[in-house]
Amino acid sequence: MNAPVVVSNLSKTFYDEGRGEVRAVDSISFQCREGEVFGLLGANGAGKTTTLRMLSTILAPSSGTANILGHDVVLDPQGVRKNLGFYSATTALYPRLTARETIDFFARINQYPEARVKERVEYLIQRFALAKYADTRVEKLSSGMKQKVSIARTIAHDPLIIIFDEPTVGLDVLNALEVQESISELRSEGKTIIFSTHIMSEAERLCDRIAIIHGGRILASNTLAGLRESTGQHYLEDIFVLYVKAGQETV
Amino acid sequence: MNWSILRLLFIHEIRMLVRARRTVVMALVIPAVIMPVMIYAQKFANDRREQTLAATTYRYAVTGPLADRVRSLIEKTQQTLAENKDEEFDPLRQFKSAEIRVENPRESLDNNIIQFYVQAMTGEEADKLTRTRDGSGSRSSASATTPARRLNGVPRITVIYRADRDGSDNAHSRMMELLRLAREKDSRLLLVDRGFPGDPKGLFAAADSNVATNGQVTGSLVGRFITLFLVMMMFTGGAVASMDIIAGEKERGTLETLLTTAVRRTEIVTAKLMSITCVALVITLIQGINFFLYIRLKVIALPKDFDLQLPTGMALTLLTLFIPLAATIAAVLLMLSAYARSYKEAQMYFFPVYMVSMIPALASVMPGLSLRSAIAFVPLANVSVASREILMGRPDPLMIVVTFLVMALTAVFLIRMSARMLAREDLVIPSHSEPAEFLGGPALFQKRVLRWFALMWAVTFAVAANVPQLATFQRQLVFNEVVIMIGATLLMLKLYNLDVSDALSLRRVKPVVWLAILFAIPSGYLTALAIFRLVNIVIPAPQQLLERFAEDFIPAGMPPWQLYLYIAVLPAICEEVAFRGMLLNGLRRRLRPTALVVSVGVIFGLFHMTLFRIAPTALLGMILTGIALMTGSIFPGMLLHAGNNAFGLWAGGSALGLETLDWQYYAAAGSIFALALWIIYRNRTPLPTRPVYRGA
Repeated sequence: MNAPVVVSNLSKTFYDEGRGEVRAVDSISFQCREGEVFGLLGANGAGKTTTLRMLSTILAPSSGTANILGHDVVLDPQGVRKNLGFYSATTALYPRLTARETIDFFARINQYPEARVKERVEYLIQRFALAKYADTRVEKLSSGMKQKVSIARTIAHDPLIIIFDEPTVGLDVLNALEVQESISELRSEGKTIIFSTHIMSEAERLCDRIAIIHGGRILASNTLAGLRESTGQHYLEDIFVLYVKAGQETV
Repeated sequence: MNWSILRLLFIHEIRMLVRARRTVVMALVIPAVIMPVMIYAQKFANDRREQTLAATTYRYAVTGPLADRVRSLIEKTQQTLAENKDEEFDPLRQFKSAEIRVENPRESLDNNIIQFYVQAMTGEEADKLTRTRDGSGSRSSASATTPARRLNGVPRITVIYRADRDGSDNAHSRMMELLRLAREKDSRLLLVDRGFPGDPKGLFAAADSNVATNGQVTGSLVGRFITLFLVMMMFTGGAVASMDIIAGEKERGTLETLLTTAVRRTEIVTAKLMSITCVALVITLIQGINFFLYIRLKVIALPKDFDLQLPTGMALTLLTLFIPLAATIAAVLLMLSAYARSYKEAQMYFFPVYMVSMIPALASVMPGLSLRSAIAFVPLANVSVASREILMGRPDPLMIVVTFLVMALTAVFLIRMSARMLAREDLVIPSHSEPAEFLGGPALFQKRVLRWFALMWAVTFAVAANVPQLATFQRQLVFNEVVIMIGATLLMLKLYNLDVSDALSLRRVKPVVWLAILFAIPSGYLTALAIFRLVNIVIPAPQQLLERFAEDFIPAGMPPWQLYLYIAVLPAICEEVAFRGMLLNGLRRRLRPTALVVSVGVIFGLFHMTLFRIAPTALLGMILTGIALMTGSIFPGMLLHAGNNAFGLWAGGSALGLETLDWQYYAAAGSIFALALWIIYRNRTPLPTRPVYRGA
């Protein structure tokens, strides 16, 4: 069976006034299997967000290809987005919509079957325990509630592929745990999840396979057990540091 | 376009807008409540002022040796006014005044005991005063005495007042009118005494007769300003929504959320455009209703005999033009919002864009401008002129259709531009520069080339209008062609480090192309003449303008070799280097071939200044651009350009009568021209192009 996400030699070059030419993503390739959580583990500025933005078609690749369920990110961006849920710390909510309206709007705009929208909205309100605040405007919700509404709007159209770009950044421990639980639940529902983080414990807990990304390049990609075996290290932090140092020496 | 998605997005935008309480207050409550209150307050203040001024009895004094004569004059004139029932003298009849005796009139004026005083001098005194003033040199401007034109020996009456006091100023104006009336009456009596007919009405009666109906006069008046009024209302109304609609979303981070959904960029842009249009129309409607109410409540006074007739057909025609006008204004506002990085930046751009957009809307005020001219192709200006003609009861159906199409195309073009702006990566990552900004060189040249040509155009225009030393035929041509075209080309080549042969497309072409160009010269000229004749049937070029242009353009007595040099050789070389070389090279990777041909052609046309020359030169420019694209070289176009101009010069001088040939000759010429183009196409050696990612 074909992998739902196939990335081949994907690159992105920026021109930054301070740093000059920046190869934010440098010819990376990976595939995600159906129903798995694929983790992109890297420090800040490693190229995680840029990679995920290219997959969500917000940014155009400088070279290489990426396919989501057979839709090319350059040739068929709309087809890609229809099958994708994208969550990131920078994707804000409309403050003047209520939680219910937000989920409803994103379900409809992502072309979820019209007849089932109401049912889907109610399901998500119940699922994320939003009933009490469903008709409160987003601007009046606490950050934890906003987080829940954000995840609900990401999956409002029930996409097969979901991207979580550093979803726990800025959250307290309890809210971060809730987000992690949501991701686990989605995996158990058979969704394919691409999850980026710089927090080792999150990657250890959630990811079926982990790609270590640094300087825009993927240095290693394997299951946690595989990474342990190939490095002889137990802790992911040690494994990460080992690969990053080796990567820097190679450069 | 998915219509249900579009509807959803539109409702979403309107909902967002309506829920922004401050925006609603600013947009609706202010014009609907505060404006009437302000206008009422102003009217109330004015009325009170008028009442106060009318009810006041002004105190004044009369001084000087001729004081008694002045008193008598004032008294007699007031008596005459009381007997006269003419409405024009109402303000003077209502003027109440009372003379009081004072010791020192100037001091009394300063202390507001009197509002003015009248100083009556004999002729000798006045002559003496004039001599003293002439001898002392300059007068103090602060004293602000307006000297009356006076013959020597003639008495002088001066009204002395204080312009810084409302009452004094008003009273002095009335007294001056009264004195002028008295003088007129006096002179009539004098003439009658000497045996002349004193009353002008006794000489002959002067009357005028206006054959236009009140409706037509009103239509002309309203037609001149309606588009300007609407443009102002739509801009200010639409700005309320547009500022927030993309720039605000960028700031809040919701734009990125929206861009990751399954909707297309064009759907997002169209929905936003519809929202801006809707808000602009609603606010314009509110202002219109306000305006109507002010008139009904007599807060705003209409001119005498105002009679606006707006039959259904006329109203619908106007509406047909105003809808694309609203869409175009909304598209301009949307582009502004998409271009700005923040709400604040969008506000900063608004005012200059607003002011510039007012200029074409003023076209209807220009006398003699008809819609059946090139103005029909100028967005906004065409609606302005069309509205005037419709309201005057002289609609031109064909040109109204052209106007509608031009406006609709403009709106579509601007919408596409806005959609393209949403594909810009710095929307999502503002800290990153566009590659060109960083790389400089050819990449930056491609970004800046249009700015260069705008600057070149502005300099050409400004110099032609303001430097009389360059107003002669040769000097202007040399300045435009050599200094502007070649000078700017050299500067661009150096600044952006461009490869000369690549930037100017200095490539060899197949020999057969040259043969095709030789055929294309006469056949192309005749084809252009045929097109001109056809267009002239629909949009006649003013004969006077053509004759004046020919006189201005070709100076008499110039040797033929110089004529051919200045009209054929120089423009062909310089303009091909600049337009089909630099401009085409700069835009080649940014536009698709059709858009490229049209853009370069239109810009080429715009450099030919006068309105009626823009269209034919733009067409020639498009053909030359097409040839440059097919051959990948500027040389064939250069030969065709020179040949075309030289052939025109020769044909004009030889009186061959090519302008009046039978249509079959033109058809034959058109066929040969098409064949020549086909030969060039078959032997094409085009420049390499690169696909452009535009997002979706």
